[in-house]
Amino acid sequence: MRPYFEKMPDFGNPLKKGQIKRGVDNAQSLKAVEQEIDEAVDTIKNAGFSEEKINARGQMTVWQRLDYIVDKGTWSPLHILYNPANNSEGTTNVIDGLGKISGRWAVIIGFDNKVMAGAWLAGQSENILRVTDLAKRLNIPLVWLVNCSGAKLTEQEKFYANRRGAGTPFYRHAELNQMGIPVLAGIYGTNPAGGGYQSISPTILFAHKDCNIAVGGAGIVSGMAPKGNFDGAAAEQIIENTRHFKSHPPGSVATHYDGTGFFRYVYEEETGVLDGLKEYMAEIPAYNPRFFRVAEPAEPKFDAQDLYNLLPIDQKKVYDFEEILARLVDNSESMEFRPGYGPEVYTGLCKVNGFLVGIIGNRQGYLGKGYPEYADYPGMGGKLYRQGMIKMNEFVTLAGRDRIPLIWFQDTSGIDVGDTAEKAELLGIGQSLIYSIQQTDLPQMMVLLRKGSAAAHYLLGGPQGNDTNAFSIGTAASEVYVMHGETAAVAMYSRRLVKEKDAGRPIEPIIEKMNKIADDYKTFSRPKYCAEVGYVDEIVKLSEIRNYMVAFTGSAYQNPKSICPQHQMILPRIIKG
Amino acid sequence: MSEELLAPMLGKIVEIYVNVGDGVEEDDDAVLIEAMKMETPIYIPCNGKVATINVKVGDTVEEDAVLMTIDPQ
Repeated sequence: MRPYFEKMPDFGNPLKKGQIKRGVDNAQSLKAVEQEIDEAVDTIKNAGFSEEKINARGQMTVWQRLDYIVDKGTWSPLHILYNPANNSEGTTNVIDGLGKISGRWAVIIGFDNKVMAGAWLAGQSENILRVTDLAKRLNIPLVWLVNCSGAKLTEQEKFYANRRGAGTPFYRHAELNQMGIPVLAGIYGTNPAGGGYQSISPTILFAHKDCNIAVGGAGIVSGMAPKGNFDGAAAEQIIENTRHFKSHPPGSVATHYDGTGFFRYVYEEETGVLDGLKEYMAEIPAYNPRFFRVAEPAEPKFDAQDLYNLLPIDQKKVYDFEEILARLVDNSESMEFRPGYGPEVYTGLCKVNGFLVGIIGNRQGYLGKGYPEYADYPGMGGKLYRQGMIKMNEFVTLAGRDRIPLIWFQDTSGIDVGDTAEKAELLGIGQSLIYSIQQTDLPQMMVLLRKGSAAAHYLLGGPQGNDTNAFSIGTAASEVYVMHGETAAVAMYSRRLVKEKDAGRPIEPIIEKMNKIADDYKTFSRPKYCAEVGYVDEIVKLSEIRNYMVAFTGSAYQNPKSICPQHQMILPRIIKG
Repeated sequence: MSEELLAPMLGKIVEIYVNVGDGVEEDDDAVLIEAMKMETPIYIPCNGKVATINVKVGDTVEEDAVLMTIDPQ
């Protein structure tokens, strides 16, 4: 299939003088938001004890462990700002992302041992479930850096129990094992109770000499006989027990290496644990990339910094999606599927690091005379119309048939509305697209370039596709809301305005409420908020979007569960005609 | 022969970036049109001088209306 893929048609253009001039302010605005995100990430990185203090105890921090184990230049962090329960610590207390270890992609996650010695906090189990889902979707190993002191007991009611509570990740580990996806665990520090199960549930355990894992730790053992209250004698007993368990915590290496043999390996040095994980990762089943590559990897022809000129942070401003895409894909080449049909969306095949991917993205701006064909009003990109939604259904279905991973670029204000649009079957075709996405059983990634709004947010590869969306990233221009704040304010208060006016009452209080709604929508749609509540899995600099595309694509092709031989693909032939 | 700058769609003029007599370069901002809640910039088609401007801010224009003319250099 060399004639199809080795050299695809070129697309994109160098920045014009006007774009350079116009882009200066826009770039500044985007970078100001990126700076705000950087500062929030730094706060998480510096949460809890200092690196110096942890190092003085002879331990590495989770960040140092990650830095040691991950191949240089491959770390693609996710969920750093994720904090759905709004913990005072600012974090769910696990750090995760995609990265290569010994040349193979893995989902990597570790407890932040600087914060309460890696305690369970609210929102953490949801974070871990996202991570286990990611390993499952991409069929790549999950590598744990366990260092978990157990539950933050003062807030246990927020996370201990429930269907997606702190015990659920252990079932997910079992599920990954069932599916043949290994979970490797490097284990450090004291890991009682939940920390013990966090340690025991993976596939192979690599232990540091000072670690221990146990059903319960000192605190639990000493409180085993509740009497309803505490007195002096009880306190003395607790003091004695605690002293004993502090010097002899249950589940040490003597027990679980020499005795039970749960630990496969024990290492003297902290880095030894990581070296052990690296050795195993080097032997993890993975295709040589040449098995699936369709061309030599190549950087885009145009500089990623151009993206700061090209993507307007002002949501009202239009832009050329293909110019964005040309700065993200190999050699700025594309085979567009059905050009001219459904002009509000781009669908096509591109290459990322030499691998074939299907790309779908909203186009922006006026769509030309006579479109949408079913209406007498003009069509504007960002909206979805009949042809575009039919085209996406076709493209997704064919990509599923050809086993080509999909990357979506979302910037949508919604699906066309009104009786004309209803007659054009948009409600039904939208749900058809959801069906088409689900039936592909393909790994998919979504980049929320700017807006995710209305039902269109669900249709365009968003995180609602729990079985297909591996992860989603946002940008400094991202916003997520059911509708624009001002539209929502009108929807909520228009009738009330009429009523008050007709009754001769002042309308100012209503106007105040409308402005409050509009302001709230702004607050709750900002990039940082989107990352904190998990609308996207990370806010990423425009210049780093391609890194995530490389991580996604490499992971998706590392050990796929199903394969379409390149010479049996049908989508490229349909494009060629 | 003057170059005509046409409105690509029906919309409202929200900004005009140039004045009659201004020297302009290809791809400079000329006019901003708002339609369907989106702002579409219209760019100067060639290097030259602005000869006429036929619209003002707030005007609603029809598709293909001549917004301004440019004398090419």
